[in-house]
Amino acid sequence: MKLEENRAPDPKEESMAGDRQEIMEIAMRAGHILLENGAEISRVEETIDRICRHYGIQSANSFVLSNGIFSTMGNQREEFFARVQHIPVSGAHLNRVAAVNQLSREIEEGKHTIADLERCLDDIENMPGKRNIVQIMASAVGSGAFCLFFGGDLLDSAAAFLSGMLLYVYILYGGYRLSRLVEHILGGALVTFLCMVFYHLGLGHNVSSMIIGSVIPMIPGVAFTNAIRDLTDGDYIAGSVRMMDTALVVLGIALGVGMMFTAYYRITGGNLL
Amino acid sequence: MTELSAWFAFFPSFPTGELFKQLLAAGVGTAAFSVLFYVPRKYYGFCAACGAWGWLTYFVLEWAGMTVTEATFFAAAAVVFLSRLFAVMERCPATLFMIPGIFPLVPGAGIYWTAYYIVTDQMELASRTGFSAVKAAVAIVLGIIFVFEIPQSFFKRVLGKKRAGETARNQ
Repeated sequence: MKLEENRAPDPKEESMAGDRQEIMEIAMRAGHILLENGAEISRVEETIDRICRHYGIQSANSFVLSNGIFSTMGNQREEFFARVQHIPVSGAHLNRVAAVNQLSREIEEGKHTIADLERCLDDIENMPGKRNIVQIMASAVGSGAFCLFFGGDLLDSAAAFLSGMLLYVYILYGGYRLSRLVEHILGGALVTFLCMVFYHLGLGHNVSSMIIGSVIPMIPGVAFTNAIRDLTDGDYIAGSVRMMDTALVVLGIALGVGMMFTAYYRITGGNLL
Repeated sequence: MTELSAWFAFFPSFPTGELFKQLLAAGVGTAAFSVLFYVPRKYYGFCAACGAWGWLTYFVLEWAGMTVTEATFFAAAAVVFLSRLFAVMERCPATLFMIPGIFPLVPGAGIYWTAYYIVTDQMELASRTGFSAVKAAVAIVLGIIFVFEIPQSFFKRVLGKKRAGETARNQ
């Protein structure tokens, strides 16, 4: 007994221990990127598991919430490792989700060494973002198209194009700093205000289509879709948190629009429609 | 194209022009949102196809006499089905196509009118539109859930793809 405790550590086993730690770190980083950029919980858990299993870690366990990853490893043969990562909610970058997914596929096929993986994850994390102007124009085009879609004519669509554009300017240069509820209340109010101004300037005549179209870029599509997928996968905690987020955002938008309508009514004494 | 118009001519009351306008708007809108969600550039077309396909389903079914809720359910299911097909084809998560593709079905107008009626103190209309918006949201949820229950192997078989292990064994 005593002899065994005091024996010098086997150098081979020692290096393996370092490797295991590194693999866990890499698996957690991959999970982090996935969760941060709008992947479902089951995909995050599966990816972490897959990476660990592929590189021979048997005792890895991970527990993933909508904003955190808890990961542990350790049994008689494998040393202990535990880490908690807090992952704040941020914008969805689905290209990174697709890239990590591809990477995890390639790992399964045995195409990557551990040293190689570190660099791949760096590359994914440093994927270039879209320039602000591109995002603003995307929001503008989306708003215009959806205004047309919800029964507006071309003039309404042009107004929605402008207000969708200004809405994203607000989101990118100020809105994101506010709390999520306030951000969307102000966003809804801003859009309603802009559409009313355009209406009075004679640009567009169907105010509802204009407002509906230009509010659409704020609709929390990622949170909603992921909430449903998490709930069906049995990840009830993350699912309900995301569903709550969706409900809050939609409520915020509706409140903003409603508040602006009330203000309009108070000031002009007449309903817009 | 001529076949298509002949088919539509069979139903004289079918609003073909309106449909094409809306399909175009849905496709462009969906593609624009896929830019916002950072979908890789090569998939913009797939997203637009999902959005337009979902709306086509909705439009035809509603025209054929279904209620908004029923039509939304089948349209959501259609979007998710196509997304999963694309996902197997392109070997990437279905979410990529589904998130933008579902946008045309989101009851944005319902939520807007609910807020409007609440503010203008028309409570009966508000509760009616609010409730139908919730029903549409639930229909989307059900559409997504049911199509995700279809096993992945079904989509592989549809596309004629076999897993590497299977082909090896069959040879």
